[in-house]
Amino acid sequence: MSNSILLKVDNIGFSINQNRLFHNLSFNLKKGKALHIKGNNGSGKSSLIRILLGITPAGKGSILWNKNTDICFLGHKNVLKNYLTLSDNLYIHGIDSNESKTKDILADLGLIKRLDTIVGNLSYGQQKKLALIRIFLNQAKVIILDEPCVGLDDSTRILTTKFLSSELKKNKSIIYTSHIPIDIDSETITLGGNQV
Amino acid sequence: MKLIFVEFFKLKMKLRAWLGPILIFLLIIISFPLTVELSSEALNDVFYSILWIASLLTIMVSVESIFLEDYEDGYLEYFYVANNSLFSLIFTKILIYWILIGIPISCLGTFFSINMSDDISSLNIALPSLLISTYIFINLFALGNSLSLNKGSALGALITIPLLFPILILLGKIVLNANFGFEISNLLLLMLGVLLLIIVFIPFIISFIIKTHLE
Amino acid sequence: MYPYILYFSVLFYAFALVWGLGFAPADYVQGNSFRIIYLHVPASFLSQSLYIVMAIAAGIFLIWKVKLAAYMIKSIAPVGALVTFIALISGSIWGIPTWGTWWQWDARITSTLILFIMYLGLISLHSSFTNFEKADKFISVLVLIGFVNIPIIKKSVDWWSTLHQPASITLTNKPSIDPTMLYPLIFSMIGFSGIIVSLIILSSKVHIFKRESHKSWVKRNV
Repeated sequence: MSNSILLKVDNIGFSINQNRLFHNLSFNLKKGKALHIKGNNGSGKSSLIRILLGITPAGKGSILWNKNTDICFLGHKNVLKNYLTLSDNLYIHGIDSNESKTKDILADLGLIKRLDTIVGNLSYGQQKKLALIRIFLNQAKVIILDEPCVGLDDSTRILTTKFLSSELKKNKSIIYTSHIPIDIDSETITLGGNQV
Repeated sequence: MKLIFVEFFKLKMKLRAWLGPILIFLLIIISFPLTVELSSEALNDVFYSILWIASLLTIMVSVESIFLEDYEDGYLEYFYVANNSLFSLIFTKILIYWILIGIPISCLGTFFSINMSDDISSLNIALPSLLISTYIFINLFALGNSLSLNKGSALGALITIPLLFPILILLGKIVLNANFGFEISNLLLLMLGVLLLIIVFIPFIISFIIKTHLE
Repeated sequence: MYPYILYFSVLFYAFALVWGLGFAPADYVQGNSFRIIYLHVPASFLSQSLYIVMAIAAGIFLIWKVKLAAYMIKSIAPVGALVTFIALISGSIWGIPTWGTWWQWDARITSTLILFIMYLGLISLHSSFTNFEKADKFISVLVLIGFVNIPIIKKSVDWWSTLHQPASITLTNKPSIDPTMLYPLIFSMIGFSGIIVSLIILSSKVHIFKRESHKSWVKRNV
């Protein structure tokens, strides 16, 4: 496998309860590139991402990650403890809320004054923002996002887009699904129908 | 090491999840004497079995949602993606539950048993057996609850309790032997051996089960 | 093919019962009440051996991922629970004239009751999942854990107390039962096992059709 290819997906197929979602799907992920997985509801986007993450086994075919590829993942679940405060939640994810970099991002997202709020009392959008901080501060080579923009306000969406394009420039790779358009350079994979 | 701190922190911040069970243990211990004539010989005879059953019930209540919260908010998934294995998380979780719930109720139980038999030697029986047996109970209930996960704790208890009978019988034998003045260290060693086996294998089985849940 | 097994084994069991109930001599201690042995012994024998079969199937399913093995577990579990229940009830009925009590905290009775609860636990575990593939895995893991644990439970319960008469027939020792009673007993065991096996075949057939209902060969056959 050449060094610029991080992920090689070869001929995978997947079905739930004998209901075939996709088959003969092949693609590569290169360094510094983004992949946008498109498809209607129920076309298997989230399943494909879970297969790529190694959580769900694929029915057939092979998935090869380049060695030492670390992944940062945000799915539908925000991985937040709703009985803990905002800063405690960051602590669980290994983020120090007193660092200047973290503080900058918190200020950008308008969460800096709410560090001592219990997460259960935040709105859905605010919780999503908090989950995004983990993505913004990650050191991983690959970022995988499943519908990151659901429930976000415009300013945060622009912030996310900016962040993602700066990551691409830093030679990181992104795989994402989103019904809300994110304005970054990306190849598209469409699931369902006669595509692929 | 960081994992231990994080898990400790998570459980510590949930008062109801660890203080609740300790208080339940106390309540069960209190409620048994209320049903027997007070200060009777009968209570002395059955006090140890009250202790064992009380610790079993307490552990059953406290472990019922050991993995549920982490499953629902996506933490298990997150951990699996980051580490490609769940073993360390599960092992740590069980250890933390033992430290925050198992050890306190062992000490409380021992305290009451000294009071009960006016005999300091019961310290040698109650404390080690409670410490070892609570760890075993937590492991096995964690196993049962990982199978039932989001399907309610009654199913987990139904699956687990039959697996615990050998340990209960062993605990009974320890008290019997102690009452006759026989050596009990070999029985304690046997239980310790069971614990060592369980400590290694149960988290493995649980991580397989939880991986299946995540699929 | 299973209907023939069923007819044959029903005949066989009926024959054994007629022989055992009608012609075998009465026990000189227990009188006629011992005759429930022709139900009790086959049932208790099967209650354990069905679990062993399930454990083998569970191993096959987890190692080689043979789906059929998982269907087998699913169809054996209720039958196993039924057989264990029969063993418990017939034992209770037998206990009244012989021990003067229908229930005794005795090792073998208690471990049979535990086995019964474990069968029911398996059934309720499987039925609480909507994703059958996951449920199959969970039930197999639990069957195997139980398989490791049942001998331990039996041994420890034995250690705790025992009153029950030792097993009348073992493979290694000379049977402690008179041949005139033994032969009908063996026949009844074969007949009873045959009935249970055909029940299992029937229920796994239903189960396979249900689970594979989308496949074309099922549509052709139903």
